[in-house]
Amino acid sequence: MMSLQKGLWSGFTRSAESFPERRAVVVGGKSLLYRELREIATRIAATIQAYPEFSGTPLTAVFAYRSATAFAGILGSLLAGNGYVPLNRTFPVERTQLMFERSECRSIIVDSGSLPQLDDLLGGVREPLLVILPDISDVGSYRELWPRDIFIGQDDLTASSAWREPTVCPDAVAYLLFTSGSTGIPKGVMVAHRNVVSFIEYVAERYQITEQDRLSQMFDMTFDLSVFDMFVAWERGACVCCPSQRTIIKPDKFIQDIELTVWFSVPSTAVFMKQLGLLKPGRFSSLRWSLFCGEPLPVSSAQAWLEAAPNATLENLYGPTELTIACTLYRWDSVRSRGESELGIVPIGCPFPGMNVLVVDDELNEVRPGQEGELLMSGPQMSLGYWKDPERTAASFVVPPGAREVFYRTGDRVRRPLGNGPLVHLGRVDFQVKVLGHRVELGEVEAVVRETSGIDGVVAVGWPATLSGCAGVEVFIEGEAKDLEGLSTAIASKLPDYMAPRRLHFMSELPRNVNYKFDRKALLRMLDV
Amino acid sequence: MNSPEAIRDFLGSYLRPKFIGQGQDPPTDMSDDHDLLLLGVIDSQDFLNLLLAVEAHFGLQIDFEGLDPEQMTIVGPLCKFVSEQLGKT
Repeated sequence: MMSLQKGLWSGFTRSAESFPERRAVVVGGKSLLYRELREIATRIAATIQAYPEFSGTPLTAVFAYRSATAFAGILGSLLAGNGYVPLNRTFPVERTQLMFERSECRSIIVDSGSLPQLDDLLGGVREPLLVILPDISDVGSYRELWPRDIFIGQDDLTASSAWREPTVCPDAVAYLLFTSGSTGIPKGVMVAHRNVVSFIEYVAERYQITEQDRLSQMFDMTFDLSVFDMFVAWERGACVCCPSQRTIIKPDKFIQDIELTVWFSVPSTAVFMKQLGLLKPGRFSSLRWSLFCGEPLPVSSAQAWLEAAPNATLENLYGPTELTIACTLYRWDSVRSRGESELGIVPIGCPFPGMNVLVVDDELNEVRPGQEGELLMSGPQMSLGYWKDPERTAASFVVPPGAREVFYRTGDRVRRPLGNGPLVHLGRVDFQVKVLGHRVELGEVEAVVRETSGIDGVVAVGWPATLSGCAGVEVFIEGEAKDLEGLSTAIASKLPDYMAPRRLHFMSELPRNVNYKFDRKALLRMLDV
Repeated sequence: MNSPEAIRDFLGSYLRPKFIGQGQDPPTDMSDDHDLLLLGVIDSQDFLNLLLAVEAHFGLQIDFEGLDPEQMTIVGPLCKFVSEQLGKT
């Protein structure tokens, strides 16, 4: 059972006591033992605690990317009693500035690779900051340029003996993570310690993680799925293995070299690897678990992956950031799963223990079993809402008619299961368009195009917009055009006229957003030009 | 048509809009020692897209088995590798 006396850092500190000489993280080609990582993180935490004048907002930004400081910074923020706000130097600097300003952090930890963007970031802030630079000794030039702020270099970090373990407040923010908002202004999702501790304890037990495991860290820290990688590993004394930008290019080599036991990525990675011929049968024999989350998992990719990782069990996880990493899961079964999949996509399965599901219509009334509707969820993993944004929190966290508790509106369309069947993801609510009065689910058009073309990278959009919806469906396909006429005819033969794509656009590469999901708005803009 | 030079030309035309999109001037020549990751216009995910685009453009399936991550984002070795792979088919 979950203990409310635990903070997100508790598993790490326990493992550091039990397994001080084991590897906690592999990053940048180097390993850090638990005792080494604890020492750096504790010094960072003690430094933050030594400057209480910067503790007005209980959050610390971590501006670091795939480095030891990224891991130590996150732990250091938590050990200081603050939540962490991950920032990412591969994002446009304007977006990072916006996230940093909105978070109102008064302290920030920066690794050496992110220093070139630091001046841009500091220039947009009016309040004095505590800036911790654990990778460099000489911070004199920064002190000269920014006399308003306090700069702490490697040699100025407070001794770890001065650190005091913070009191655990289950409702305090463990991390603040920005997701893209429909208005273009990022929303900061506040995930509390009790939300994430509930998740970590459940999955560490479900996957029977031990100190012998090696988990992948494919996700950037700005993607909440990274929390799984780090904290599930540290919960049980396992090692989290973070590939560099260069190593990620060859995920197959990474899995084999490190002898990973737990793989966790977006399905796109499996799709890519399949297309590049990197999913050779039997190749990833070290894997015990193959986990996917973040977007729909095509059946064809799941099957190819399983052949490459024959000793692993494959599970498809689902969950928006607002429901803390993942809140439903589906275990692939070689006999049953093809029949349970719809539109060529693996189901999202059943809710985590304690999480409640409602499938509702437009008026938020529950639909009958077998019908489709929007997925609403509630339970211990439901986050606190959006940082300093009561309006958008109220719009997404609602009490449906007849319910007694608040549910989060996921915006995802699912089919309410008949009996004990799995939840099946059918697309986004806002991916449903009206064409000439007909309701068209773009996911269904995409499924037909995927099946007919044999290509997994397919996006359908409604375009151009009309007063009642849109005039037709346009489809983008990732790949080279081959027999365009034959393909168009074959697709049209499987769909009613109003759903058949007006045009097929082949692109060598479809635009993706910062989390590598297809960027539908960019495609619509291309059509508008 | 599948010489290292043809592949280099393709890389140049493929990356040109990315440089422009990020407000940078595209390099006038893609010299052998340019590291695509260090140029800052693509990340590792983009690089995988680039490999798929190379396959699609040259109309052949390339065996990426022998690809060395330390070398393969560098223009010279990448063009040589792809050219050799295309020559095998």
